Amino acid sequence: MKIVRIHNELLGTYGDRGNGDVLAYRASLAGINASVIDITYRDAIPHDGDIYLLGGAEDAAQILSCNALSGGALHGAVEKGAVVLAICAGFQILGKSYFAHGQEQRGLGLLNMVTVPGPDRYVGDIKIHSELLGIDLTGFENHGGKTILGAGTESFGRVKVGSGNGDGGVDGAISGNIFGTYLHGPILARNPEFADLLLSRAHGAPVKVSDPLADRYAALRREVVK
Amino acid sequence: MKSPRLSLAITIAQATGALSKALGRGSGETLPGRVLLALCPNAIELLSQSRVVILVSGTNGKTSTTKELVSQVRTVGTVVTSASGSNLTRGVAGALMQDSVFAVLEVDELHLPAVVAATNPALVLLLNLTRDQLHRMHEVKRVASRWHEMCVSADPSTLFVADVDDPFVNYAITGAASAVRVSFGGATGGRHPDGAVCPSCGRYLDWNEGRYHCECGLSNEYADHRFDGGSAGYRNFVLASVAADLVGVHNSLSNIALRTDYRGMERATEKNFAGVKARIRLTKNPASWTEALAGVTGSNVILVLNAREVDGIDTSWIWDVSYASLAGKKVVVTGERGADLAYRLHVEGVESTLVETFDQAIAIFGLGSVEVLAAYTAFFGLVNR
Repeated sequence: MKIVRIHNELLGTYGDRGNGDVLAYRASLAGINASVIDITYRDAIPHDGDIYLLGGAEDAAQILSCNALSGGALHGAVEKGAVVLAICAGFQILGKSYFAHGQEQRGLGLLNMVTVPGPDRYVGDIKIHSELLGIDLTGFENHGGKTILGAGTESFGRVKVGSGNGDGGVDGAISGNIFGTYLHGPILARNPEFADLLLSRAHGAPVKVSDPLADRYAALRREVVK
Repeated sequence: MKSPRLSLAITIAQATGALSKALGRGSGETLPGRVLLALCPNAIELLSQSRVVILVSGTNGKTSTTKELVSQVRTVGTVVTSASGSNLTRGVAGALMQDSVFAVLEVDELHLPAVVAATNPALVLLLNLTRDQLHRMHEVKRVASRWHEMCVSADPSTLFVADVDDPFVNYAITGAASAVRVSFGGATGGRHPDGAVCPSCGRYLDWNEGRYHCECGLSNEYADHRFDGGSAGYRNFVLASVAADLVGVHNSLSNIALRTDYRGMERATEKNFAGVKARIRLTKNPASWTEALAGVTGSNVILVLNAREVDGIDTSWIWDVSYASLAGKKVVVTGERGADLAYRLHVEGVESTLVETFDQAIAIFGLGSVEVLAAYTAFFGLVNR
C-alpha cells in the first residue's frame, strides 16, 4: 500500500504529517505492507498512490501547493479510486475556490464547494458526529476560512463542539473516497476508527486493527472535548 | 528627573509587590509592573528615556540569551533586567522601576513591536522564529510580518542584530534602517523547520546545507559576522556576545572562542525529588524539543506535556518531532496531555510508561538520576516546587 504524503514541508504547519505515520503503523499491525512516500513541491506527484494526504498550511504555502497539484496527477488518481484525506488548507484547495492573502484563488475542483474568509478565526477543540462511522470524532481546528458546500456535496460530520466549516453546523466534505475536514490532532491519531476506514477503502477489504493504547487515547479525547 | 506622579506610582507599585509577596500571593514579580501601568500608562516610555535599552526576542532562547547579555553588559555599567521569563509589558514595566545605565529585557514576540515603540531601544536582538503556541500566534509568517513592520517604523537609530540563517528573522530586518546580520554558515539541520516558503515574496525556498537564496534577493549568503555552526545554546551565546560588543563591552567577540561549554545557555535546572537526581530542561515547541532530545545522554527519561495557554493548547505539533533517539531507554510520560505523547511515541516504536503524576514518574526510578524534558507550565511547576 502506497501512502503519498503531499508537500509536508508546505502543508505541515499543524502536525498533520502524523496522519501518514498512523496509517502506516496501523497497516503494519493489520499485516499490510504499507509505506509513506513524502512528495515535496519539487517532486512529481505519483499516479499510483493508494492514499493521498494533504495537511494544513499558511496562505503562501497553500497557494504554492495548490498550483503544484493543478497538473492533474491527483485528479487522475481520484478517478482510479484512490483515497484522499485533506485537512484544513489542504481541504480548502480541493474545492472550486478558496481565499489566501485576501484574494480568491482557483481550487482543484475535486469537491463541489467554495471557501471564503470567515468573520473570525476559528481556534479550539472540535468534536463532530460522523454518520458514516457512527461515532464522534475529536480534533483541533485553527483556520480563518468558512467553507460552503455546493448542492449535493455531503458533509463529513455534524459539529457538536466548535465551528467546523464555519457556522457550527457541519464539518468537512465527502465525495466518493475523498475526505476533507478541519480536524487537526492529527485526526487519525485521535480517531483510529477513521484510520481503519481509510485503510479499508484503500485495501478493498475491511481492516480492523486492535491497538488498546490508540483506543484509550481516542476515548479520553472524546470524554474531555465537550 | 522622574515626575512626582511617576515616582509616586513606582512607590505604590513596589509596595504592592512586597505586600503580595509577604502574603504569599505569588512571587511578586509581575504585580508591581501591572500596578505601575495602571497608575501611569506611559511609564515604560518615561522610564526608558534616560537609559540604554536592549531588547531580546525570538521563539526560543530569550531567557538564557538575556541572562548572558546581562552578565556581559554588567561589566560596563549598571543593568536592570526582566524577572526570569516575565516578558510581557507588565514585566518590562516592573524591570524599569529601578534606575540604571542599561536595561536588558526579554520580550514576547507579539509584544515586541509595542515595546520597541515605547522604549526606543538602542539595540534589538532577534534570535529566531519557529512554530510556537499556534492558537495564539496563528502562523509564523504573521509574527514575521509584524516584526517587519516594526523594523520599518522603528527609529533609524535603533540597531537590529539578527541571525539571518532564519529566513523569517532575515525578512523582518530587511525593513530596518540599521542592522547587523549574523550567520552561522547555515540553519541547523540543513533547513529551517518551517522555512519552505520565502517570507518576503511567497516563492518556494530551496535549501542547500542550511543556505537559501530566493529570487527576490532574500538570502543568508550575506552577513556582517560569520561564525561556525553549533547548538542553539552556542548560537545564542554568540549572538549575545555580538550584541554586547556593539554596546561597548570589551573583548566580548574575542571571548567567544574561549568558551566551550554552553550548558549554561540551556533553560535547565537540577533538583532532587524523593532521592532521584533530576535534570529538568524546558521544552515548548518542535524546535526546542528537537534540540533537547539531541541533548539526552542518559538512559532514564521523563517527558512531561501540558497544554495550557502558554504551552499551546493544541498538541498536534508533537507529531513533528522525532523521538526515535529515545528507543531503548526507560521512558516515562506524564502531564495533563501525557496520553497524547505516549501514543505519539508508541507509533514511532518507542514504548513508554504513562502515569498520572510527576511523583509517580519519579518513583519508577528509585534512587538513580533522570533527565526530565518538561513543557512550559510543567517546567515552572517543577522548578517552583
